[in-house]
Amino acid sequence: MHEMGLMASMVELLTESARHNQIQKINKVKLVVGKMSMALPDALQLAFDVYKAEGLFSSEAVLEIEERETMGRCRSCGRRFPVLDNCLFVCPDCQGIDVEVISGRELYIDHYEGEDGNADDD
Amino acid sequence: MTIKVELQTPILARNEETAEEIRYLCQENNIYLVNIMSSPGAGKTTLLEKALGYLSKELRTAVIEGDIATTRDADRISAHGVEAVQLNTHGACHLDARMVYQALQKLEWSQLDLILIENIGNLVCPAEFNLGEDLRVVLLSTTEGNDKIVKYPVMFRDAQMLVLNKVDLLPYTDFSKAEMEQDLAGLNPGMEIFYVSARLEQGVEEWADRLIKLVKRSAAEHENLGQS
Repeated sequence: MHEMGLMASMVELLTESARHNQIQKINKVKLVVGKMSMALPDALQLAFDVYKAEGLFSSEAVLEIEERETMGRCRSCGRRFPVLDNCLFVCPDCQGIDVEVISGRELYIDHYEGEDGNADDD
Repeated sequence: MTIKVELQTPILARNEETAEEIRYLCQENNIYLVNIMSSPGAGKTTLLEKALGYLSKELRTAVIEGDIATTRDADRISAHGVEAVQLNTHGACHLDARMVYQALQKLEWSQLDLILIENIGNLVCPAEFNLGEDLRVVLLSTTEGNDKIVKYPVMFRDAQMLVLNKVDLLPYTDFSKAEMEQDLAGLNPGMEIFYVSARLEQGVEEWADRLIKLVKRSAAEHENLGQS
């Protein structure tokens, strides 16, 4: 529901970083999105298409999204396990309920690629 | 020439920074900040209206009202003699830290012990946005059905307290308290649960008492830290 807003934040971060790195056009952005984040990859792609029309991106720019499953780690026995449907934070080995989320909350820009406007001369 | 930049930056990095500023500001002024979330119509404003009578006896309290467009909720709170700041999100489905920071500027910090934030009615988006709060409360009403817990697990995992509202209507719904407790045992076993009917003012005093205790305990801890 708020993917447009997330995309606006992403574009803001990228604009600042691109200026800092003297990049004129961005061709590719790689996001990592956990299953426990409230962002849906399809909606992010749709929002990206809207922002792609802005000057920061080249017309062929792509948004690549890597999804991460929700994983828990039992603080009692150390077992790592996938958390089904984001709902069952109970250790399958020792039934421990003190479970730390070690993956699934990600919502970050991993990297991006862009052109600096200089010709390749090497 | 193609350049690859390893950014490794959270999309909500700015929100996190602002949330940290709010946390700092509240700690400095000994203010306890509570983020109250639910779906639309679960009874957030009614619960606050009824609880403010108890809270105001013990604590200097203000309310930040998130609303998409109107001032109706803030008007309802102000009618109880409690300061209310209205935040209109103009369509946005959640409050973010920047909005709360702006609302805080309208309050007299030295005159407050507790600020209650009534978030936008929505069980999805508000879960993502850290507001620098000390406590997250999620309100669920019996008429919504107990399946909301597993349908919106992140909201119910991240909150420390659940208030089940409209318990007076339990006999007229298919809401299963047993299933709710079983689902929470897997999702958030440490969650505190309160059963209330805000409309009939049942259970509201217990909830308010618990909040008062938490606020006073936090203030006492803060004072001890200051002395050591």
